[in-house]
Amino acid sequence: MKAKNRDQSFSDSRELDGSYDQLTDSVEDDFELSTVCYRPEGLDKLLEQTKFTKKELQILYRGFKNECPSGIVNEEAFKLIYSQFFPQGDSSTYAHFLFEAFDTNKNGSVSFEDFVMGLSIILRGSINDRLNWAFNLYDLNKDGCITKEEMLDIMKSIYDMMGKWTYPCMQDNAPKEHVENFFQKMDRNNDGVVTIDEFIESCQKDENIMQSMQLFDNVI
Amino acid sequence: MAAGVAAWLPFARAAAIGWMPVASAPMPTPPREKRRTQDGLIILNVSGTKFQTWRNTLERYPDTLLGSTERDFFFHEESNEYFFDRDPDIFRHILNFYRTGKLHYPRHECISAYDEELAFFGIIPEIIGDCCYEEYKDRRRENAERIQDDEDNENNNDLVSPDMTLRQSMWRAFENPHTSTMALVFYYVTGFFIAVSVMANVVETVPCGSSPNRVKDISCGERYALAFFCLDTACVMIFTVEYLLRLLAAPSRYKFVKSVMSIIDVVAIMPYYIGLVMTDNEDVSGAFVTLRVFRVFRIFKFSRHSAGLRILGYTLKSCASELGFLLFSLTMAIIIFATVMFYAEKGSTASKFTSIPAAFWYTIVTMTTLGYGDMVPKTIVGKIFGSICSLSGVLVIALPVPVIVSNFSRIYHQSQRAEKRRAQKKTRLARIRAAKIGGASAYLQYKRNGLLGDRLDEASKEAGQALVTKTSATFENQHHHLLHCLEKTTNHEFVDEQTYESSCMEVSLTNQARSRSSSVSSSQHGLSSCCSRRNKRKSFHVPNSTTGADRHGSIQELSTIQIQERPLSNSRASLNAKLDETAQLNCDQPFLTAAIISMPTPPVTTPEGDESTSSADYLQSNIVRVSAL
Repeated sequence: MKAKNRDQSFSDSRELDGSYDQLTDSVEDDFELSTVCYRPEGLDKLLEQTKFTKKELQILYRGFKNECPSGIVNEEAFKLIYSQFFPQGDSSTYAHFLFEAFDTNKNGSVSFEDFVMGLSIILRGSINDRLNWAFNLYDLNKDGCITKEEMLDIMKSIYDMMGKWTYPCMQDNAPKEHVENFFQKMDRNNDGVVTIDEFIESCQKDENIMQSMQLFDNVI
Repeated sequence: MAAGVAAWLPFARAAAIGWMPVASAPMPTPPREKRRTQDGLIILNVSGTKFQTWRNTLERYPDTLLGSTERDFFFHEESNEYFFDRDPDIFRHILNFYRTGKLHYPRHECISAYDEELAFFGIIPEIIGDCCYEEYKDRRRENAERIQDDEDNENNNDLVSPDMTLRQSMWRAFENPHTSTMALVFYYVTGFFIAVSVMANVVETVPCGSSPNRVKDISCGERYALAFFCLDTACVMIFTVEYLLRLLAAPSRYKFVKSVMSIIDVVAIMPYYIGLVMTDNEDVSGAFVTLRVFRVFRIFKFSRHSAGLRILGYTLKSCASELGFLLFSLTMAIIIFATVMFYAEKGSTASKFTSIPAAFWYTIVTMTTLGYGDMVPKTIVGKIFGSICSLSGVLVIALPVPVIVSNFSRIYHQSQRAEKRRAQKKTRLARIRAAKIGGASAYLQYKRNGLLGDRLDEASKEAGQALVTKTSATFENQHHHLLHCLEKTTNHEFVDEQTYESSCMEVSLTNQARSRSSSVSSSQHGLSSCCSRRNKRKSFHVPNSTTGADRHGSIQELSTIQIQERPLSNSRASLNAKLDETAQLNCDQPFLTAAIISMPTPPVTTPEGDESTSSADYLQSNIVRVSAL
């Protein structure tokens, strides 16, 4: 994906090569920012903050640094990387939501610390932590509750990743139906939104969800 | 998948947490992770240069040698590393591919060496990064052209297949005039007649003095009409005959008729025939005159004779797009400027610019900087635009010309290189052949020593061993043993050239004496001649081969003993005489259909190819043995 916006490509200097038609001042800005190399805080500090072992952090960092030599990943690169895993569908929207969830300080880029802390919660946290994180992902405007519209957006993005060629054929109202089912299950007091407590409570009651949450123990 | 992306798989799997709460069905069980070895370092020893990398790095591309279990074949237990006996310089790039995900092509490396390494390590060249891909493709194309050229020449020159029919040999003569004297003569004769015909066309129109009843001069063509007509007839006759012969000899007549040269040939001779059939009618005589113009196309027949002309034609064809662009832009400019000039000059009286098409002529003449001066603008506005026109003309024409020139230069240099390579090839092949013969003689040397050891086994065991085993290496020992096995299998022996020739002389002498008699000797000959009948076509054509030096390479079987003598005699007549003799004997022994090991290989000497009999006695004994089969 080419960097269409001007203030994006400060992580990958290679994306600058295609920008013939950018105005000179923005190109200079990009150049300035691209020479900034972001270094994570020491390995020991990260060990304290996350629940990974030293070796795991090393492996994670090597992979991270290989793909993003400048030390931070911006949304375009994030989307690109994620799309490699889903060649059939369009994973950009879901990747966008993920990016929002990982980018805890809302500065438009994910550093290694953000990345590794998010992963630590998902892969090494307790079930409640994971559910919290999932709730955070769904809550797009971070106001503490999930509305039907937000859930619909999330659902559509997940279904988009499937692509066109599915069996059975993808109906247009499949996401909507799915959202209805979800709200039926989760919305205890039927007020049209799902709060964090409702969410965690309902999930804890659902065996399938509990079981699937345990899948993440062995990912790394 | 790209390189580092594999490292992000844990992240992608973690991100799946967003699907879990909304999942409508239970998740499948995760794959059993085999007790993964720690992400350790792997040592890759490539011809002494040690490379180290993480195991994970290599496993990013599981469909290559290093990323799959195939590398286990190269694991060296003692040093606990993977050893590859390959080029370390090129390996550097291959390993970088694993590290960065981009494969680069080093410009200083030979393209075939690089290709081989890629093939060995199971990496497809298509993933070479954009930075190096064009260079790689260019070099590869050059190399392929070079090899194709060499192959074509080989095919053309060495195609002495004995199966060539008259038609094929004729076609070959037409395509490669230097292969036989007849073809060369034909080539020069046609060239001469083309020149004569063109000259006649030119001279025809020269004024040749006036005749008494006419006022102005008449052309030579009218004066000596009969002479020119005869000349024209002769040329057209030759061209027609040539065209028909080519048509006959062409392997694919349809393709030949479609080809450019044949069209030129037809266009060159058609006017004459049309002129013959047309009557001296008034209304068609104008058309007849037009047809005579086509006679000038005979000059294009020279392109068979001149490589330079062909290169020019090929260049123009390959620059078609540039020429098209030139034409198009010129046309645009002409129309624009003609319109402008017309309206600019409309005002002035007695202006030559009577219409826009009339102004075309002025524009063309000006843009190509010819400037005849027959049409000039008179108004000031006209003059201004006229100068702009001439300036832009220079630019428009100058732009595509360098492209065409560089194309021509590239193609011309390529053909020069091809010529040079062809010339060098002969010496190269001769040298390679000499080296191969050296290899063959090593075996013969060994045999002499080996035979020695064989017969005097007990007595001179030590001496034999000293001679045989100490001097040659294990590889040579085994190779010689292999050749020896082959000899035993085929009941033939390897000999060198002199022995072979001398033996052939003996055989021919004895056979000549015997061929007059019948029965006893004929039975022995019958076998050979019978078998020679089976392979009659192949063996009879061997004398026609021009590569006399390699004769024993191609004659490998018992049955061609008779034929083996052939190349020794120098005159074709004597060859034919001998052939007749054997042909007569053929019918005598129909029951002798012993299987002869016949290997008619092309006349290239290989060490294993030197098979023939070493002595007349051995010959006879061999014949008897084989017939028992």
